[in-house]
Amino acid sequence: MDISTIIAGLLTLIIFTFLYKDNPFYKMAESLLIGVSIGYVLVITWTNTLMDMLFEPLFQNAELTLLIPLLLGLLMLGRFSNKTVALSRIPIAVMIGSGAGIAIPTMLYNRTIKQLSASVMPLFLPDGSFNFSGIVVIVGLLSTLAYFYFSREHKGKFGSFAKLGTFFLMIFFGTTFGYTVMSRMSTFIGRMEFLLSDFLKITQ
Amino acid sequence: MNRQIPLIVCFSFGLVMFLQYFSNHTISRSVNLAILDYWQIIFAFTLIIGVVSFIKVNLTKISRRIDRPYLIVGLLGMISMPFMALIWGIKADSPFMWMFENVQAPMASTVFALLAFFVASASFRGFRARSLQASILLGAALIILLSRSNLPLPYTEHLSELADWIRNYPSMTARRAILIGIGLGSLTTSLRVILGIERTWLGGER
Amino acid sequence: MQILPRHYVFLGLFLLIGITMALDISVDVKVSPYTKKMHAYIDSLPEGSTLIISFDHEASSLPEIRPIALAMLRHSFQKNFKLIGVSLYPEGTLIGYRLMKNIAKEYDKTYGDDFVYLGFRPQYIAAILAMGESIESTYPQDYLGNDYNSIPMLSNIQNYDDIEAVISIADGSLTTHWIEYGGQFNIKILGAVTAAMVTTYDPYLSSNQMTAMIGGLRGAAEYEKLLGMKGGGSRGMLAQSAAHLYIIFLVILGNIFYFRSRKKGGKS
Repeated sequence: MDISTIIAGLLTLIIFTFLYKDNPFYKMAESLLIGVSIGYVLVITWTNTLMDMLFEPLFQNAELTLLIPLLLGLLMLGRFSNKTVALSRIPIAVMIGSGAGIAIPTMLYNRTIKQLSASVMPLFLPDGSFNFSGIVVIVGLLSTLAYFYFSREHKGKFGSFAKLGTFFLMIFFGTTFGYTVMSRMSTFIGRMEFLLSDFLKITQ
Repeated sequence: MNRQIPLIVCFSFGLVMFLQYFSNHTISRSVNLAILDYWQIIFAFTLIIGVVSFIKVNLTKISRRIDRPYLIVGLLGMISMPFMALIWGIKADSPFMWMFENVQAPMASTVFALLAFFVASASFRGFRARSLQASILLGAALIILLSRSNLPLPYTEHLSELADWIRNYPSMTARRAILIGIGLGSLTTSLRVILGIERTWLGGER
Repeated sequence: MQILPRHYVFLGLFLLIGITMALDISVDVKVSPYTKKMHAYIDSLPEGSTLIISFDHEASSLPEIRPIALAMLRHSFQKNFKLIGVSLYPEGTLIGYRLMKNIAKEYDKTYGDDFVYLGFRPQYIAAILAMGESIESTYPQDYLGNDYNSIPMLSNIQNYDDIEAVISIADGSLTTHWIEYGGQFNIKILGAVTAAMVTTYDPYLSSNQMTAMIGGLRGAAEYEKLLGMKGGGSRGMLAQSAAHLYIIFLVILGNIFYFRSRKKGGKS
């Protein structure tokens, strides 16, 4: 067995010790994970973004327009001092403003209009049968939206309709819980597969 | 002035990026692309701020002797990655890649795998049919789990169909309502940000 | 040494998964309509089509994501597609490169001619929109430092107009951004996501904003079956089923205790 697998296996087992209780070995591994992850993000961001998109084109190909994002990026570093923190608001304004401008048509069209139009289904299917599922979708959508509508008190008929929305929400949460269980178990199965086949060599 | 200039910048960039959605003119596309590139570069600088803040916070805690050994390990781990990348590069089979594949990835995925145990514990302790709503939630979850369990029983086929129907219609429509709600919320917040009504992103007055 | 009830629950799960994995038995799974749709769509694309495979996940979900990603890559290379690998999460960057390189070797594919890896870009919304304008401008160089123009398979690739579809391999909500922002350019979006995320994307699947989707280890196992091969997905299915039944057992047991305690007069 190579040293890489031994280290990965031991670290895996150390993390699992947390299931009994928190302990110094786990804390050490957790700190190492946090540190290594941050170092990793720093390196990838530096090499894949700042070098590729900024420094190389600017200093090697003399693309002078890139001085603008460089300046904005440097202004961002103003956050480190109380005296210069106001400067960092300008690059933040660029990002927030751009994001908001892009989001308006996207949220309206792709998230709202498209979703609403997909909810309107024919009452009868091509074979002549009644489209029960289509009714479920439209009733579910309207009642769930009613539940999230807080400008009117949830009383009387409106309250009952909003309560119907909670049943649909519970079905969604239940379904999501079922799939989340699947997901978490899959992750554990993957780690177990590593321990049994690569580390302990019990299975092939 | 400290707040006026950022508000004007925010409004200008918001308006430009909103309007470019409706234009296919070459100049409009070039401006759009340039701003998108700038956005990515500025975002990269924000990540650097995060890293520097991490170092500062850790050094302060170390000087106050709070969890000192663990924080030193964390800092060493953080420093080791750029150090290795600088000396040996980041391509395949470099020490940087080795650290990622044999230290970071196994630990990160095992920490994530711990959630399987907490989900199991929560299922036993908290998943109770206390009300009609809770019972519906419970029922939906059990149907989904049973239908994906490969049981060699005669009703499996129907159970799968029922689970797919639940996912495709009642569950999907509730999620759709949430999506629409988030969409409308994002839309109005974006408008408020561009128009300078929503200013929390500016932080405190300094 | 204090043993609490939750320790028994943990131990039960550990032993159950350990034993079922050690048995090393592959279980035959029934292929769901979702997986069939995904397979049929990819299969319907003409040979030589160019696809973007976006590794939009972190290392933490690798045990679940890896079999899904491998199934997608194997099918794509079988179909002789030209693959462009990108990553919108830093942690997906190295994983994506390694997976593409290893699977390309299985199918004798050449870097630069059959597949290329462009690497990571931060701020996913900006990156997705920028690629819609110009992939070259977004990635002047590939992950290995080669100039975009020097890579043969990219010579005719300007933007999404030259791409058949994007496969977003994701463990979070990043595929949403591919759908909503990438969708503006009329590109087909395919989701290969963790099981926990499938219900998040169901409305997009229903509205056809997302063309097809497979989810989780189970989805990977089903896809492996359609490809006629055994992989991490099918190997884990016995343990997966056992884990589901274990959770069902715990829920029922918990409710029995609850109703018994309520009958006794306590309102726990």
